[in-house]
Amino acid sequence: MTNNSRTRATGAVGGRVAERPAEEFKADTAVLRTMRKLRLPLKLRNRELALLIFACAINSVSILLVQLGATGAIDLDLVYLGAGLSALVLGLHVCLRYVAPQADPLLLPIATVLNGLGVAMIYRIDLAEGVSGWAAASTRQITWSAIAILAAIVIIIVVKNHRVLFRYTYLFGAFAFLLLLLPLVPGIGREVSGARVWIGIGNFVSFQPGEIAKIALAVFFAGYLVRTRDSLSMVGKKFLWMQFPRLRDLGPIIVVWALSMAIIVFQHDMGTALLFFGLFTVMLYVSTGRLSWILIGVGMFGVGAFFAAQTLTYVEGRFRNWLDAFSPTVYDATGGSYQLVQGIFGLAHGGLIGTGLGQGRPELTPLSQSDYIMASLGEELGLAGIFAILGLYLLFVSRGIRIGFRGQDDFGKLLAVGLAFTIALQVFIMVGGVTRVIPLTGLTTPFLAAGGSSLVANWIIVALLLRVSDSIRTGPAQEVSS
Amino acid sequence: MSELTLLVLRIGFLLLLWLFVFAIVYALRSDIFGPGTRKPQPAQAGQQATPAPRPAPAPPVPPRSAAPPPVTPSGRKHEKATIHNVSRLVITAGPKEGLEVSLGRDPLTIGRAPDSGLVIRDDYTSTHHAKLLLWNENWMIQDLDSTNGTFLGGKRISSPTQITLGTPIKVGATSFELRR
Repeated sequence: MTNNSRTRATGAVGGRVAERPAEEFKADTAVLRTMRKLRLPLKLRNRELALLIFACAINSVSILLVQLGATGAIDLDLVYLGAGLSALVLGLHVCLRYVAPQADPLLLPIATVLNGLGVAMIYRIDLAEGVSGWAAASTRQITWSAIAILAAIVIIIVVKNHRVLFRYTYLFGAFAFLLLLLPLVPGIGREVSGARVWIGIGNFVSFQPGEIAKIALAVFFAGYLVRTRDSLSMVGKKFLWMQFPRLRDLGPIIVVWALSMAIIVFQHDMGTALLFFGLFTVMLYVSTGRLSWILIGVGMFGVGAFFAAQTLTYVEGRFRNWLDAFSPTVYDATGGSYQLVQGIFGLAHGGLIGTGLGQGRPELTPLSQSDYIMASLGEELGLAGIFAILGLYLLFVSRGIRIGFRGQDDFGKLLAVGLAFTIALQVFIMVGGVTRVIPLTGLTTPFLAAGGSSLVANWIIVALLLRVSDSIRTGPAQEVSS
Repeated sequence: MSELTLLVLRIGFLLLLWLFVFAIVYALRSDIFGPGTRKPQPAQAGQQATPAPRPAPAPPVPPRSAAPPPVTPSGRKHEKATIHNVSRLVITAGPKEGLEVSLGRDPLTIGRAPDSGLVIRDDYTSTHHAKLLLWNENWMIQDLDSTNGTFLGGKRISSPTQITLGTPIKVGATSFELRR
């Protein structure tokens, strides 16, 4: 029995074993499936449920604390909205019990807490600015969260096996390219504070297609590298202590580099360019195991960024704000370092344990609910709170990489690592930018920052990681042991 | 709302947040320290000197002698390996050189995973690398989508392939062959 089921399982992967009668397989897998169900009382899902309830409690407490701190009274309206969100997250959990019972139990609670903290902070800034209803960013953020979680539910139900995505590798590549081009199309493209990365119809909906493009690109890179990895990793000359690729194998990285440079030049968006190029470089490194790719990638981007800083005024401005933030002329200039320095003052005001939710002045920083949400959280939760949040990100990313490590198929491995890495890189770029470690570039802090497109994209990443982690545990190896 | 209450609430919330972080870390401890290590039953503990994680289909037996007896008759190089003429697998090159695994009717998985029938740990072996299996009484080798491939007689295989007696099969840095 075991013999047949294993042949079937690996045959589904390789697609070549087909010489046994079909009914025999069916009977076997049905028996195995019931056996597995009996044996495992959904331990992972129960653990997830416990953590989710904890997460939802943290979210409600944070909203209540914001109200107590800012107004001194409790108003239950937003708590009800938050409860609706908790219900949706629990819906996703119930859904996982049926369609992906072996998925990783930690991703969902972490994402829930990060999303909830973001909502609480945005709500806090709305209270300070005295806006409510649909004008308030928090109401929109909750609505977008609901849409994002629904999107995650749809993805996890529709994508039954992540290897399906492998079939459409090039379609995803074309799709990503199209999404990146969309904001440049006259009529639907929108320019917001210098960067042309938005699309909108009328002045109704605005969306950042680059956020979805990063997922499509991760799928494309994973599929492409699985197909072509051999030529990129096997041959090449040894120089110093590393093996360098042949000149003609540099083709793909040059294409992606050119694409990133085009984003910098035409869309004025350094963050997205850095994200895509970094994603490709890391996936190349993971798939070939060669350090030289990292060196080549960093070198190429360094050269590009240097020339961009020399020729493009907005890049030059970013560098000046970063290097010389506290000089009065830079501080007072239009588009100067005022915002950055306000954020740093906020962080300093927060100190070790923060001013308490609702009791700081984070609204003094422009864009304190989106780009500078980390500074706002740092002011009200302090260093201790920021480290807890960074710890949550670290755990999330480590889960993603762990899923990649455990994966049995190369595509799943690369996809999981790539998706986890986009989150890590985005956190680094944003937190680094706000704390003046690197020049600030316009990306979103995953799950926290106000912005619908980013929320939808990140929840789709959660769904894909859950899907990959489920197929790992129910894969061929598991059938061997059962 | 008094200052003191707010201070207590502020610190309480930070503690709650950190409690959540540690709850997650506690939940993933099994990943770091391995799945819950069950103590072996007293009866079995006496028999097993080294803990075997799971019953492998064909447990590796220690080498019978330092140098494996040369049993590849030159005239039968291209004889098909079947259930009737194969009794063991002998590792001819690599870190485990000389090790023999007796083959029954069960398939044998090869890879880095601890639950493989034949565990090979090196940089070039995938977690689930290849599998030996019986098809209509013939021994076949199947590559499980491994990263660096499985080589039968020096050629990389892409589909389940018939093994001939004494032909070297290479997985990572290890070579082995089937013998009677």
